[in-house]
Order: sequence, then C-alpha cells, then structure tokens
Amino acid sequence: MSEIRVDARGTECPESDEAVMELAISAGRVLLENGAEIFRAEDTVRRIYTHYGVTTGREFVLTNGVFVSAGSTHEDMFARVESISQFDINMEKITAVNELSRDIEDGRYTVREAMQKLESIKKLKGKSLPAVILASGAGSAAFCYILDSTLADGICAFAAGSAVYAFILFADRIRMSKLVRNVIGAIIVTVISWLLYMTGVGAHLNPMIIGSIMPLIPGVAFTNAIRDIADGNYLSGTVRLLDAVIIFTAIAIGVSMGLMLINRISGVIPV
Amino acid sequence: MTGQIIAAVIGTIAFSVVFIVPAKYYLYCGLIGGAGWAVLSLSMNSLGEGLSTMLAAMTVLFLSRLTAVIKRCPATIFLVAGILPLVPGVGVYKTAYYAAAGELGRAAATGYIALKDSIAIVLGIALVFEIPQKLFNGIGRPLTKRVEDHD
Repeated sequence: MSEIRVDARGTECPESDEAVMELAISAGRVLLENGAEIFRAEDTVRRIYTHYGVTTGREFVLTNGVFVSAGSTHEDMFARVESISQFDINMEKITAVNELSRDIEDGRYTVREAMQKLESIKKLKGKSLPAVILASGAGSAAFCYILDSTLADGICAFAAGSAVYAFILFADRIRMSKLVRNVIGAIIVTVISWLLYMTGVGAHLNPMIIGSIMPLIPGVAFTNAIRDIADGNYLSGTVRLLDAVIIFTAIAIGVSMGLMLINRISGVIPV
Repeated sequence: MTGQIIAAVIGTIAFSVVFIVPAKYYLYCGLIGGAGWAVLSLSMNSLGEGLSTMLAAMTVLFLSRLTAVIKRCPATIFLVAGILPLVPGVGVYKTAYYAAAGELGRAAATGYIALKDSIAIVLGIALVFEIPQKLFNGIGRPLTKRVEDHD
C-alpha cells in the first residue's frame, strides 16, 4: 500500500484496495444472482471502485461469473473471481443494490458501512411461499381470462398455475435441471387443465393451458438476453437467449406430451 | 376489451409479486403491462400481429424507462413483468398442440408466427434501448425530485 487514497469527493479512504474491490465484486455478484443485466453489474462494480479511488480497477462480467482485478507497479495487486451457480429472480435486491450504489456515489457510505449494507441486502427475505404461489395462480388466471374465456376458466387456470409454481419451487429445491423441470411443469399444467375441463369446471381448455404455462415462461432470461445483445454483450446475451429458447422448447414438448398422454387415456385430443 | 385490459393489469401485478418487485412499484408494473396489452389489441386489426407486437413492446419499454427515471429505480423491474402479456404463449401452445396432433404443417406455421412475434418483441425492445438516457431524464426531470444518469 502506497500513499493514502481519496475517494471521488476528496474524502480520505482508509480502507485497503482489497476491501474496496471485495465490496465491488460482491455487489456485482448479488446483481447477477438475482436477475440483473450484464451492463448493470459491470456499471455498478465500476462505479463502486472508481468512487473509492481505486484507479487501476478493472472488471469483466459474464452471466455466471464476475472477474475483478486491481493493482500496478505502484499499488498492491488484487484479483478475484466469483462464479455463480444458483440464480433466483429477486427485483427487490436489484433495486436495493442500485440504490446502494447511488448512495455510495453521493458519499453516504464508508467501505465498511457499504459492506454491512450489502450483507443486509443479501439477507432480504422476499415473499413467503404461499404468497408467491398464489400470485402465480392469480397471474395465470388473468392471462387465461385475457384470451376470450370465462371467469370459470380463470379459476381453473388459478388452480393449475398455483400447482405448477409449487412444483417449480420444489424442483429448484432438489436442483432439478431446468429442461426436465419445464417439461414436467408443462405436463402438470396440461393434465390438471384437462381434468378440470373434463369435470366441467372450465369450458375452454386452450386458454386454461396457455394461462397456466405463464409461470414457466422465461420472461427475465428473454428480456435480459435482448438487452445484453443490444448492449453488445453477445456472449452473455447468447447464453441467456439459449436459456430462454431451451425453456420455451421444453414447455412446448411438455404440452405435447401432456396432450398425447390425454389422447392415450381418452382416445381424443381435446379442442 | 376493458375487461381484458384490467386482466392484463392484474396479471402483470401478479407476476411482479412472483419476481419480488418491491410492493411500492406493483401499480406501475400493472399499468405498464396493461398499456402494452392495450396497444397490442387496439393496433392488431390495422397493423397486423407482428407490427402491433413490436409497437406494444416499444410502449412497454418506453414507459418502463420513463418510470425508472421518475421513481429512481432500475427499468428492469417494470420490464420483466410488463412484457409478459406480449409473450406469444398462444403460439407456443398451438405449435405444441398441432405437433401432438401430428399436423406438422400447421405446427410449423404456428411455430413460425410465434417466432415472428418473439422477434417483434426483440426489435421493439432493442429500438427503445437506443433512445439516449438524456431524453428520458429530460421528460422525467420535471416529475421527480432528483435525477441521475442511472436508469
């Protein structure tokens, strides 16, 4: 460590480069884990180390990894890689890290305080399981109703959509592969919708199935893929696009399998 | 029509709960999703499926970026749920349906439409991403207390 660094506002910054870079990479990691775009993670990492005066900082971000380094002949060398294997969509955490990075730029945090704040962001609880499952059902019902169907169909979609999200949460807990998860999920949706259709609860099978597959649709992967590619992050964008395409395909395969199963049991493919 | 737009608002809000958007932004997510659906269904007859989907995606992203400036938060939180009403679930389903029924010609035709709609969403989003942040800051500035170059 050479002379004392000052941050962007001219305040002395007693913490080491290492502490600054640790903070920056942790912030980047939280963003990626919770479904942020590449540019946002890069931007946040850069803003943080630049603000705290680490002039030699560099960052490189992919969908599942953050790499940072700092140092030169005059400063200590520092390098760290964080690889991410578990993803979880949580917009609250992204919003919180975004806010933290603004507040850091406004000079409201020392490195140590910012690290504490980041730790508390990581621990944010999110929503309870029943709330998320019911919300997923409500979303399915609404997107079923949109397709010229009835309220009764919506109620069926609510049941199928809630059930499939409960299954997704279970599948994620046992680390089931996404491909298998979405095939099985789509089969569940198709079969439950058909059972409700056969028992006469719902009158229109197609809207019921379409509404209830919404919880499986990879909306975040798809929009992030577009944004990453639009930003020129082709590598990460392609990976995310492939992710979205595989999930869409898995859903289509699952629905087909469900319908063929119904065909075997009942002798007809319902319309 | 009105009922469908309300359903789009409710559906978008429901999925913003699933994506754990902070509760104070639920209503904005819902209105943005509803606006997307309204643009889609109003322009469908005159512009056709592809163009109206693109226009709807542009609307959703434009409103997301604008709201992000006004509320000082990331645009993503409005976009991820707001885009859902436009996702071609019908196309994916019909493709699977015809494939299961052994009608491969119709499966290919509906699959092509689903792909076309997806590309329309991609184009719509990519185009509005190109609008400089300054423009959104300019529109949003009178509506918020403090604005920064940080969508």
